[in-house]
Amino acid sequence: MLELSHLHYRYPDAEQDALVDINFKIQQGQCIGLLGANGAGKTTLLSLIAQLITPSAGQLRWQQQPSLGLVPQTLAFYAKLSSQENLHLFADLYLLKGQQRQQQLSLAIEAAQLESLLHKKAGQLSGGQQRRLNFALGILAPAQLFLFDEVTVGVDSISRQHLLNAIKQLKQSGKSIIYTSHYLPEIEQITERVILLNAGKVQLDIALAEQPSAHNLVIEWTSGIPNELVRLCQQQQLDFQQQHNSLIIHALTQPQWTTLLTHISHTTPAPTRMNYSKPSLEQLYLQVSGGQL
Amino acid sequence: MRLWALSIKELLLLSRDWHALGALFIMPGLFLVIMAFAMSAINQDELPAVNLSVDIPNPSPASAFFLAALEKQLPQSQVQADTSTNQITLSPTFAEQLHDNPHQGPKLSFPANSDTLSRQRIRSAVTIALAQTRLWDFLIDSELISDSAPLAEQLQQVQLQTQSELEEYQILSSGAVGNRANASQMSVPAWLIFGMFFIVLPMSNSLQLEFQSGVLVRLRALPLAQSTLLLSKLIPYSLINMLQFVLLFSLGFFALPLLGLPALSIHGNELAYFVLAICITSACCCFGLLIAAVARNTEQALLLSAGSNLILAAIGGIMVPKNMMPISMQHIAELSPMSWALDAFLTLLVGQGELKDIALWCYYLLAFALCTGAAGVILLHRRVQNTLWTTQN
Repeated sequence: MLELSHLHYRYPDAEQDALVDINFKIQQGQCIGLLGANGAGKTTLLSLIAQLITPSAGQLRWQQQPSLGLVPQTLAFYAKLSSQENLHLFADLYLLKGQQRQQQLSLAIEAAQLESLLHKKAGQLSGGQQRRLNFALGILAPAQLFLFDEVTVGVDSISRQHLLNAIKQLKQSGKSIIYTSHYLPEIEQITERVILLNAGKVQLDIALAEQPSAHNLVIEWTSGIPNELVRLCQQQQLDFQQQHNSLIIHALTQPQWTTLLTHISHTTPAPTRMNYSKPSLEQLYLQVSGGQL
Repeated sequence: MRLWALSIKELLLLSRDWHALGALFIMPGLFLVIMAFAMSAINQDELPAVNLSVDIPNPSPASAFFLAALEKQLPQSQVQADTSTNQITLSPTFAEQLHDNPHQGPKLSFPANSDTLSRQRIRSAVTIALAQTRLWDFLIDSELISDSAPLAEQLQQVQLQTQSELEEYQILSSGAVGNRANASQMSVPAWLIFGMFFIVLPMSNSLQLEFQSGVLVRLRALPLAQSTLLLSKLIPYSLINMLQFVLLFSLGFFALPLLGLPALSIHGNELAYFVLAICITSACCCFGLLIAAVARNTEQALLLSAGSNLILAAIGGIMVPKNMMPISMQHIAELSPMSWALDAFLTLLVGQGELKDIALWCYYLLAFALCTGAAGVILLHRRVQNTLWTTQN
């Protein structure tokens, strides 16, 4: 539904591009997690997709007339209006009428659990309730693409799960979603694809189902790491780290794991603990981004 | 539909903003009443009573006639036996001296706190009363008036001899008329204009709040045309300006007389007032756009709105009438749009002018609106275009 092709953006008076040669497509019904450290270019990319700025070079190609639903990180409503007045105002601004208006309003109110807060002034809601209202105003839009930016910050765990379920429902109804969060388990839970931005470039664009099959291995000893095992890792050119009495080996393939296991079984002293597991998104992110959060 | 929804929203927000309502309605209303009271002694339609005491050491028919003639000249004056007030002392030979030429009149004594206007009024009244008494004396001697007639009748006959009909014409709306305005004519338009210009405050504040929150991002992504966004500010605030015009004018018309102040008498045709109100509203709202574009946050918007309004009012003859300023300041006053608006109002209220008489000031106000509005639109366009997706990362 949206294709970004060789997209560049440079801020006025800046010496270098904030975004460099960005290429990816967003399919209908797809949910993409957008990750990146501070200053990586997430804000610029979201501003381009939201059509707040125009690219310096390259193209944003929409299959249909662009229609966006936004949930920005900053609270985007009128504090002196009640929740209901805010919802009706934005329903008017989204040009919602008749049955569609009623449906969208009900959906948004239910998803954000605002039923008991409708007559309260938005400015008098608690921080978490304001986030929920902000969310409701975003999903009220009859849009095809939704941009969610840190929507669950400050929201209690039950409401958070409710919001995430609402996003999943949007996805199931064929809406496309771009979701940014620093809370990576959330991204794992609702997105099927992750794009990692670093210094304005796409550093990683990966479908979570295609996450590398390589595993991580953590081995612990009570007193020191055996030297012959460190030498073996060096000979095999493995990606490893030594931390006190622990050896952490990244991206271990099945044959490497088998070889290593044979050596460990003949090494003394024997390890006290071994953990062989698929890396989480957080571990993958830290590995690819070089530890920058 | 969007313009309507945004305009209604703006009015709803304003109705819940007690500070803005105070600045738009209560503050100018209070200023209007207080300043009307403070200026109530200036250019009154009826001059205030003068306190004086008349010392007559040797009462005679002549002194009685003089006293009657004097009271006629100073109606409602209180003649007291208090020596601390303005005093007129007749000589013991007052009646005998009436034929003297040159003539020595009564002695006038003024206490230090007696104002210039009161002294002048007493001098004029004594001069006229004395001339009438001397004429009376001549007419009695010539037996043209009977000394047995009642004193009031004698006075009336003398007045007939001394009174002339004067033809008086007003050359309407010519030149500056501020020095002829009474307390209501000066206070009502002055503080009305001041209050109308305070529309800048909520208007710029409203735009700043939209810039500072994520609302503008949401509006831009609708997408919402910038013209709709600007009109959604201009239309409701123009209506508020017109409401201020009606309410504060009504306050001058209906409420001031209840407080013992002269009522605002509205001269000229209604169209001229309506056109003037439109011109002032245009100037205020366009100025509001400029302030909103220049300010970077709500604090700056407050400072710029209040600061610029106070300066424009101070130099524009709102706080101190222009005719009380030195000439150099009067020239500087001509730079303030508040001064143009006030001059136009005074031309209608005091000079009883018509639309053509205020046309020049209306052009000035519209030119001010055009310049500030154009600058505001250009700067706001840039700011809106530079609005990015906001994050706290």
